[in-house]
Amino acid sequence: MKRANKVVVAIAAASLISSVAISPAANAATKQKVCVALDTAGINDKSFNQTSYDGAKRALKAGFASSIEYLPAKSNADYAPNIKKFLDKKCTLIIGVGFLLGDAITAAAIANPSVNFALVDGWSVGKNQKGITYKTDENSFLVGYLAAGMSKTGKVATYGGIALPTVTIFMEGYAKGVQYYNDVKNTKVEVIGWNTKTKTGTFLGSFDDTTKALQTSISLEQQGADVIFPVAGGMQATTAANSLKSKKSNVIWVDAKVMDTGKQYASVTPVSALKGLAEGVLAVTKEAYEGKFTSKEYVGTLSNKGVAYAITPAWSKKIPASLQAEVRDLAAAIAAGSIDVNNA
Amino acid sequence: MITKFFIGLKKNALLPFLSFIFAFFIGGIIIVVSDPVIMGQLSSPGKFLTSAASRIGNSYLAIFQGSIYDVNLARESGFFRGFYPMSETIVTAIPLLFAGLAVALAFRSGLFNIGAQGQFIFGAIGASYVGFAYELPPLIHVPLVLIAGIVLGGLFGGFVGLLKAKTGAHEVIVTIMLNYIASLFILWLLKTQAFLREERQDPIAPEVNSSAQLPKLLGGDLRLHLGIFIALGVTWFVWWLLTRSTLGFKFRAVGANSNAARTAGISVPFVTTATMFISGGLAGLGGAVHLIGTEYALTAGIAGSIGFDAITVALLGQATPLGTLLGALLFGALQTGSRTLLSNTGTPSEIVQVIQALIVLFIATPMLLKRVFRLKNSIESKSMTAKGWNG
Repeated sequence: MKRANKVVVAIAAASLISSVAISPAANAATKQKVCVALDTAGINDKSFNQTSYDGAKRALKAGFASSIEYLPAKSNADYAPNIKKFLDKKCTLIIGVGFLLGDAITAAAIANPSVNFALVDGWSVGKNQKGITYKTDENSFLVGYLAAGMSKTGKVATYGGIALPTVTIFMEGYAKGVQYYNDVKNTKVEVIGWNTKTKTGTFLGSFDDTTKALQTSISLEQQGADVIFPVAGGMQATTAANSLKSKKSNVIWVDAKVMDTGKQYASVTPVSALKGLAEGVLAVTKEAYEGKFTSKEYVGTLSNKGVAYAITPAWSKKIPASLQAEVRDLAAAIAAGSIDVNNA
Repeated sequence: MITKFFIGLKKNALLPFLSFIFAFFIGGIIIVVSDPVIMGQLSSPGKFLTSAASRIGNSYLAIFQGSIYDVNLARESGFFRGFYPMSETIVTAIPLLFAGLAVALAFRSGLFNIGAQGQFIFGAIGASYVGFAYELPPLIHVPLVLIAGIVLGGLFGGFVGLLKAKTGAHEVIVTIMLNYIASLFILWLLKTQAFLREERQDPIAPEVNSSAQLPKLLGGDLRLHLGIFIALGVTWFVWWLLTRSTLGFKFRAVGANSNAARTAGISVPFVTTATMFISGGLAGLGGAVHLIGTEYALTAGIAGSIGFDAITVALLGQATPLGTLLGALLFGALQTGSRTLLSNTGTPSEIVQVIQALIVLFIATPMLLKRVFRLKNSIESKSMTAKGWNG
């Protein structure tokens, strides 16, 4: 009996060895170490850094990565040494979170042609740096339409953290969505905080000034807005906390689902405008795992689910079904390309 | 016994040293408490203590390895490469040292310069513009960039001194306000045509020309740059200024007792303005060296929290040039080591910021340490705190 067992084991072992020997080169990519260089807000920022790293976590779970790691930046001066640390630790895919890391990522990508790099909200360079970008004006357009449909005062608002292209694209899409609602329904819902003609609007000047965020939220309410769309990372929590107290406005959550990063604010947050940072990171990791990594930009859209909107479950009964259906149809039309959010 | 050893230390160094030890002790407790796995072993004390001790040991070892000498790196790519962390420590310490000296100098004159952040930013702005807008031979370009940093930082600081001298506006309030102005100004500036990169909309300035970059000293990927000599030179200059020059004597006289100094014929308004100008110039020079040493491109976050860490560094150094140098090196080491700490042990790198904050807390409360270590008057509350609101 024992001998028989041994034979079986021997055969199994032999077949294992042979299977390893004949496996194709693509499997060489299975040992993928994914390292994420974060921006300054920390790993638990309930926004940018956290959702990007979630993509790496999902890649680990799905087997696209054999190990994952992250390093937070305390200041801009940390970007380059953090990436250096990753190179020393033999990471095979290094992802920089945010365009501010662009210079450091590009310098490292040029110096290390055998390592793959990706840059969230960034651009492609050479053969081994891949930009990850998002058409967030598509889903902002939808939440803008929804906000206009829900507003009772006829005024909706938005504000941004800093006037970066990645922030203003949300505000632009939102305002365009409201405009589209006005055109279709022949209404005059006003947008406070962003002007699509002059491309100017309300900004905090940072992504971490809670005092300014609170002042701005209160001021927008005083101007009559009953829906506010804060595009300022974690500062949305301040606006939502104010809405909970004042009961004068509702909030549109940004980047992630409110149920994931701000559950306690669900009662004032009918909808979230999702920027699929995790989806982007996951897609790039998968591509590298399959040995298909190229420097062609990843563009998150409604059609590849890189951007999306999510009605908060508690609100699915409160928002008129007809309005929800209209937004759904609109989303399908944008995804199919029959409506262009920039010329709607 | 222990007390005797500590008294043997120079009195100046005793308070920072004890604060340092105590902060690491409490930091260790926090590392253990924040680890659910170790806390789960609380029911079996023996096991708990061993794993807690090894966790703390490994964490501090990782900080050491990540900031002084990395054995793993040395094993892989040669003995010399093992010094990479030390090079990083020094690189991180350089801007902290400049800003720390700025705060220390003002302290000695009885002024609390909270504005090193803003002055640092303005220095970096000046350095950036002169760095990318002109093409000059390095021997002329680098000094010009540094002068631009000194002048802009100096004017931004000197303005505070002038306001205080002429109107009595308190420098704490004014510098805090100017910090806001500086960080919002840089946001605006980076959006202007002069500072935008070609075909880019992001708020990031062009890199300074290579003729304006400080040369690397060691080659390879070691980032240690010429700025270390500038930093050491300036440390010596501040020491000389404070202890060997007439102007420095006036600074200290005003710092010790401005009424007595005035009676003795020293112009207090002049000293206030001059101190703040030099202090601002030091911080501005730090911004310039930081920019052309490692960063090259101006961004809104160029100063990070350097201007604020500098206050801690100066406190830790008891407002002496040498002490500030050591304080900056310590903070540089902690910040550099935090990277390896997280990467190797999984301990959150934020623990380093907690330790830094604890050090300040203990330095600011000498009574607490006196009680804990049962010291009698061997810790002097040195007169380095700024004057009150009416000073």
